Amino acid sequence: MTLSEMAQTVPTLETERLTLGPLSQDHFQPMADFYASERAQFVGGPMDPEQTWRTLALEIGHWALRGYGRFAVTEKASGRMVGVIGPWNPHGWPEPEIGWDLMNGFEGKGYATEAARAALDHAYRDLGWTTAISLVAKGNEGSRRVAERLGARFDREFTHVRFGLMDVMRHAGPGGSA
Amino acid sequence: MSAPMASPVIEPVIQTERLILRRPAERDAEPYVAVFTSGRADFMVAPGASVRDGWRYFYTELGHWDIRGYGMFTVTLKEDDSALGMVGPWFPHTWPEREIGWMLYAGHEGQGYATEAGIASRDWAYRALGWRTAVSYINPENTASIRVAERCGATLDPTAKGCDPDDLVYRHPGPEGH
Repeated sequence: MTLSEMAQTVPTLETERLTLGPLSQDHFQPMADFYASERAQFVGGPMDPEQTWRTLALEIGHWALRGYGRFAVTEKASGRMVGVIGPWNPHGWPEPEIGWDLMNGFEGKGYATEAARAALDHAYRDLGWTTAISLVAKGNEGSRRVAERLGARFDREFTHVRFGLMDVMRHAGPGGSA
Repeated sequence: MSAPMASPVIEPVIQTERLILRRPAERDAEPYVAVFTSGRADFMVAPGASVRDGWRYFYTELGHWDIRGYGMFTVTLKEDDSALGMVGPWFPHTWPEREIGWMLYAGHEGQGYATEAGIASRDWAYRALGWRTAVSYINPENTASIRVAERCGATLDPTAKGCDPDDLVYRHPGPEGH
């Protein structure tokens, strides 16, 4: 899939304050700022710029291979990138996940919850998922609160080879069932 | 989700005397991923890589194509579509220079395939991408790869910066040299 095909294939989702759309090279710098920071400690960081670029390529490759993936989330009011959020299920992943990485400076506004809820609805409505999890690293209290605001419940523990011990939080199903 | 529109997309395909070089596809993943657990990729990634690491790299290869519009090609024999390696242009963000890289899967060494594909993809990068020069970054202990670089006509450039401080940088003949 070429970039132009990607742009045609990746749906755009809208929430009250946010737009979820395709990731591109344009999103490299805010990602580099986040992944280089201590805030990225629970998602494989801190990373150097090359690792961040490879992560961006990996996210886009996930779209090419799976036909879906995480979105670049932008703030409607400013056009600024606030996160990388959406369905995530690379080969070897325990189960299809809704993941969220919130860029620096956008914490505390409910953006992760707002975008993840739209992504979860998209996974159930457009991708046919019947259940979804979110992985939260031990000690990542901000992420855990997002999962809880979305109504997810602790399911089990999972050891990620790079991120360590994580909680598997399970979302309510498409009809609101656990 | 919107379906891709029927815009014609011309994917580069390179033919050599014995080989086809084409954009990697999902069917090429298995032999690629296998490299990462075989020890054959130890010059490229840290020893002890997992199947999941292999998949992450494969996603990144595909994402590189989407972001850059080019990337490493899957190499096959003309009469058999199964992948025997990946060879071609590679330029992650932050790399000092544009590279021609090569990786052959087990059982396909010693037949000149990396050299044949390396020269063809380098010429393509000059012709189609407008590259003015190209290097190959090689671990000093990777003698097989050094031989490929030399057969491609590349020579050690002691002044060029490596991706890693220990890299040997082999510089290829320029576009005018052919």
